[in-house]
Amino acid sequence: MFDLERQINSWSDHLRARGNFTETDIRELESHLRDEIDDLISSGLAADEAFLISIKRLGNADALSNEYAKVNTDNLWKHFMLDPVNPEAGRQNRRDITMVVLFAFLAGTLMKLPELFGLKLFATGSELFYVRNLSLFILPFVAVFFFIKREAETRTWTRIFAAFFAAAVIINIFPSYEPHHTALLSGLHLPLFLWLVTGAAYSGKQWQSQMGRMNFIRFSGESFIYGFLVMAGVAVLGLFIMAIFQSIGIDAERFFEQYLIIYGICAAAMISIYLADAKRSIVENFAPILAKIFSPLFLVTMVSFLAVMIATGQSPFMEREFLIAFDFMLGMILGLVLYVISARDVNQPVNLFDYLNLVLILTALVIDAVALSAILFRLTAFGITPNKAAALGENLVLLGNLAGLAWLYIGYFRKRLNFARLEKWQTDYLNVYLVWTGFVAFLFPIIFKFV
Amino acid sequence: MNVSKDLIAASVTPLLLSILNESDSYGYAIIKRVKEMSDNELIWTEGMLYPVLHRLEEQGLIESYWHKAETGRQRKYYRIKRRGLEELEVQKKQWEVVVAALAKTWTDRGNS
Repeated sequence: MFDLERQINSWSDHLRARGNFTETDIRELESHLRDEIDDLISSGLAADEAFLISIKRLGNADALSNEYAKVNTDNLWKHFMLDPVNPEAGRQNRRDITMVVLFAFLAGTLMKLPELFGLKLFATGSELFYVRNLSLFILPFVAVFFFIKREAETRTWTRIFAAFFAAAVIINIFPSYEPHHTALLSGLHLPLFLWLVTGAAYSGKQWQSQMGRMNFIRFSGESFIYGFLVMAGVAVLGLFIMAIFQSIGIDAERFFEQYLIIYGICAAAMISIYLADAKRSIVENFAPILAKIFSPLFLVTMVSFLAVMIATGQSPFMEREFLIAFDFMLGMILGLVLYVISARDVNQPVNLFDYLNLVLILTALVIDAVALSAILFRLTAFGITPNKAAALGENLVLLGNLAGLAWLYIGYFRKRLNFARLEKWQTDYLNVYLVWTGFVAFLFPIIFKFV
Repeated sequence: MNVSKDLIAASVTPLLLSILNESDSYGYAIIKRVKEMSDNELIWTEGMLYPVLHRLEEQGLIESYWHKAETGRQRKYYRIKRRGLEELEVQKKQWEVVVAALAKTWTDRGNS
C-alpha cells in the first residue's frame, strides 16, 4: 500500500541531503507539498497520484536547491561552485584573494620595519614595543579589506582610521616603568578593543543593528578557529623546514624566527578573515558545533567541582592567579553559550540546548559568586594593583553579561519575552566590552602612574 | 500567453507586498492567489517564490511566523512590516509611471 507519510519523509530527507536548505526551509517546503497534495486529493486524485504530481510541480531537488543557493548570496563558496561562469562573482573573488596576499605581505613588512630603528623582534628590550603594537600591525589591514569589500563611505574610513591612529599614538607616547604591569595590560586589552573597532568596518552600515552585530560575533568565532588551524599549519611548515635544512647542516632557525613566523601570523590573520567572511552560512559553522560538543562536558565538570567544593567545605584559595582562572571559566562559558545562541534560529521553539545553556550559566554564576566573595576580602586587605583591578573588572563584566543572559533565559522559558531579546542583550553588551577594554588599555596606565 | 521571465522577476516584489498587504499569507496560498488574480497567466514557481520571500524578510520588509492552521498543520506565514508598506508605496509610484507611459504611447498611436 502507498504510505504517504513515508514518501513525504523520504522526499524531505532527499532535500536535506542536497544541502543549501536550512531546517526551516525544509519545513516550509514540506508544508507546501502537503497543501498541494491535499488540494489534489480533494479534487479526486488518489494519494499516490497526488504525491507524484505535487513533487513534480515543486520541481526536482537539483533545480530547487540551485535556486535557493543562488539567492542565498551569503553562501559564497557554494555560489562559486554552482555558478562558476558568473563573471562578477569570479572577479570579486580574484580581487579578494589579491587583497589577502598583498595585505599579508604589507602587514608583515610593516612589522619588520621597526627593525630599521633597532627594535628587533624577539630581542630583549623591544618586547614591550611589540606587545603593545601587535594588533596595530594587522587589524588596520583587516579593516581596509572590509572597507573595500563593503564599499564603505569615506566617512567610515576616516572615523575608523582616526580610532586606529589615536590608539597608536596614545599607546606609544605613554611611558612605562618597571615592572610594566599597565603596559602589558594595555597590550592585552588593545587587540580586543581594536577588534571591536574593526567590527564596525566588518558590519558596515549594519553595525548599529542587532543582526549586523550578531553576524560579527559569528564571524569572530569562525575567524578564530580558522586562524588557529592556519597557524598550526604554519608551525608544521616551520618545523618541517628546520628539520630538512638541519639534515644538510644549515640552521634555518633564524629564518623561521625572523620571517616565517611574522609573515605567517599576518597571512594567517588575513586568510582566516577572508575565509570566515566568504563562508557565512549558519548551518555549517564550526564554532557552534564545538560549543555544542563541549557545553555538556563543561557542565559536568563544573557541577562536579561545585559538588566537591561543597562536600569538602574547601573554598577556593584566593590568589590573583586563581581569579584569572575564574575569569577564564566565565569567558569559556560565555563563548559556549554565545555560539549555541548564535547558530539558533530566533523563531525556533525551546530546545534542549537552551536549558543546558541556562544550567551552565547558573552553575558558573554560583561558582563565581563563591570565588568573588572570597577574593574581595583578600583584595581589599592587600591593596589594589593594576593586575588585580583588571582581573576583578573582567570578572564583573563577564558576570554581568552572564547574569543578564540567565535572567532573560528565565523570562524566555516563562514565555514573558521572545528569544530576540536575548540576542539584543548580547549584541548591546558588546558596547560594555568596548568601553571596558578601552578603559584598561588607555586609562589604566594613567590611573596607576604607568607602572 | 507567456509572460517573460524578466517581467515576472520585476513584478514579484510589488505583487508579493500587495498580497501580504491584503492579509498575512503562506507560500502555497500566495502562488494560488497570484494565479487567480492574473486569470491563470502568472504562474510562479516555488523555487522562485521562497527565496524571494526569504530575501524580503532579510531586508526587513516582511516578517514570518509559524501558525497552526485549522488542519492542525504548522504553516509559515508572512506578514508585511512598516518598511514593506513604505516600499510598496514606492513601487506603486514606479509602476504607475511605467503603466501611464505605456498607455499614453499606445493610445496616441491608436488615435493617429
